[in-house]
Amino acid sequence: MSTIAPRRGIRAPYVLIVPAVVILLAGMGYPLIWQFVTSMQEYGLAQQFGKPAPFVGFDNFVTLATDPVLWTVVARSLAFCVLTAAVTLAVGTLLALLMTVVTKTARLILQIALLLAWSMPVVAAMTVWIWLFDRRRGVVNYLLDMIPGVEMNRFDWLSTPLTFFAVASIIVIWMSVPFVAFSIYAGLTQVSDEVLEAAQLDGATGFQRFRHIIAPLIRPVIAIVLLLQLIWDLRVFTQITMLQDAGSKSGDYDLLGTYIYKLGTSSQDFGMASAVSILVLAITIALSWFYIRSLLKEDEA
Amino acid sequence: MMKRKLGLVAAATAALVVLAGCSATPPADEGGKDITLWVMGGDTPDALRDYLKTEYASATGGTLTIEQQDWSDALSKLTTALPDPENTPDVVEIGNTWSPTFTSVGAFSDITDLVPELGGDKLLPSFVEIGKVDGANYALPYYFGSRYMFYRKDVWAAAGLEVPTTLSEFSAAAAKLKTDTQSGFYIGGEDWRNGISWIFANGGDLAKKDGDTWKSTLSDPKTIAGLEQLQALYADASLAPVTEADSTPWVNINNNAATGAPEAATIIAPGWAHWSIGDLAPDPKDDTKTIATWNDNVFGTFVLPGVDGGAAPVFAGGSNIAISAASKNQSASRELMKIIFSADYQKMLGQNGLGPANLDYADSLGDDQFAKALVASAADSKLTPAAPGWAAVEGSGLLEEFFGKVNGGGDIKALAAEYDTKIDALING
Repeated sequence: MSTIAPRRGIRAPYVLIVPAVVILLAGMGYPLIWQFVTSMQEYGLAQQFGKPAPFVGFDNFVTLATDPVLWTVVARSLAFCVLTAAVTLAVGTLLALLMTVVTKTARLILQIALLLAWSMPVVAAMTVWIWLFDRRRGVVNYLLDMIPGVEMNRFDWLSTPLTFFAVASIIVIWMSVPFVAFSIYAGLTQVSDEVLEAAQLDGATGFQRFRHIIAPLIRPVIAIVLLLQLIWDLRVFTQITMLQDAGSKSGDYDLLGTYIYKLGTSSQDFGMASAVSILVLAITIALSWFYIRSLLKEDEA
Repeated sequence: MMKRKLGLVAAATAALVVLAGCSATPPADEGGKDITLWVMGGDTPDALRDYLKTEYASATGGTLTIEQQDWSDALSKLTTALPDPENTPDVVEIGNTWSPTFTSVGAFSDITDLVPELGGDKLLPSFVEIGKVDGANYALPYYFGSRYMFYRKDVWAAAGLEVPTTLSEFSAAAAKLKTDTQSGFYIGGEDWRNGISWIFANGGDLAKKDGDTWKSTLSDPKTIAGLEQLQALYADASLAPVTEADSTPWVNINNNAATGAPEAATIIAPGWAHWSIGDLAPDPKDDTKTIATWNDNVFGTFVLPGVDGGAAPVFAGGSNIAISAASKNQSASRELMKIIFSADYQKMLGQNGLGPANLDYADSLGDDQFAKALVASAADSKLTPAAPGWAAVEGSGLLEEFFGKVNGGGDIKALAAEYDTKIDALING
């Protein structure tokens, strides 16, 4: 891309990005501005019904910064998102590698299976998952219980935070692996066979070929996929809220998404909810910043 | 180039802000005849909905659209829809305990002048009171329900137990009935709507008004006494998960298809649960479902006994109904209110097991054991605090969290102090 030097004084590129910028501003700009303004106001139910909102400056942020509950939720969300994204990436990469070595039929079956998982609406998939992990009649408990010496009858997966988030993580991974697998598979098809063959002739093992040839070549794909996964897993909402409906509404089971939702629409404190949303935006930008900087460096190199 | 772009952004932003500002002003009555009614959950049976539509059409010539909202996300939908004249339902059913929150911010129209025509003094007083602000009526009762106990006569008799007359007798009986596979009394750890009965029974409260402000009173000695009793009962008698809230306990009192035995000897449930309790047989119309037929030899009801006998005050379930202040069809909405509070409709509510708003028609509930238990438990029932921020307290999940931790075996006094602080931050709106 960087081989063609940009010419000065040409307006066409700017004109071309106008539609994208306008759509972005109209779609994202307004909510974002509203969010910034609201985060500096005392904005509750009375304001929602037309009362003027008093400007409180950074008061909401100060309250948040000194609230241990928020920092617990932030830490929990980051841990959840990093772990889930890492496992998703690992499983997705393994499946992509599998696609390159199996027969055409097997690959097709694998791809169709992944596509079905990918295209399943979240709410429908969640309903089935919740049934699978049901305390009384869930298939998971039924199967585990059949293993001799394992007593899982009536085990309630959703009743301790650790098992709750383990289930949530499994579900999120199941939903995002197809995207990762397909993206990385697409990247893998671009790795030239000659290079791999040459390495093989030189005696490189499968793992060495992956580590020293394939991985560096598809690094940009892995980087963007990992970044997207991190962002998606940080703002995961539907899965958590549906699991909470099936389990507990207690704050111990909150991630950032459900925390903001409870604060805003359920407790009707839109000012504070906006302030937390700004924090999430900041975390997201911080995450992406590393990626964008590394991209820029690569461009320069 | 840059300057021009910035100018454009500024203009667009200004336009959006101006547009947003407009929506806050309440509209004048545009006199439309086509209105929308929101009902909560499936409590209003189809026959009643059809009746309302037909009557409304013949009274006004307009169309009544009834939209059902889920209880679980109703609070957020009301918060976003009610202020907006373009999207607000015209008439809306709300959980009775949410009335103070919405009336205090002006979400509903003042209908004080209409009250005498709708039933006046005959309307359920506690529900009328909770829908009032400064002496003006905004939300009126729609129907009331109440919670009472369903028990397995066969299981209780086999253990040689009689229906208890005091709350501690009940605790002892329930503990005796617990086995590895059967709860003596099935109650979820986070189930605060039923759990508060133990607080009320001991003379405690969730919150009290002190001058102009509401204060959470979980640390009150009487509240603590109730919580201690509940904690012991949960530990000794219930196999329900500590994370379970208000759920569908009747699945536990019916025989489990796999074992042929019930998983609970006793449950507490809203009166209409009796339609789901009984001997199970396959539904002839749909073999994936079963029908429950009440069997007096196996199942019975009693009212939760008080500390010194009599009936314990339980949570008064039910709904209020109000006209959205943002509705453009105020006069048509008032017509619908007249139909809802008509003798015919009130009787239909009673015949379907829903306590009618107008107590003159309470006998339409019938005189079977369910009607008797409903009336007996409703007589002493209590509402949650009429504080402006109560809906926020409910929405925040703090009560589920608190009751879950108490029933999980936590230190009641420390927890009560902690959650008093948390609830105080929300309760005054």
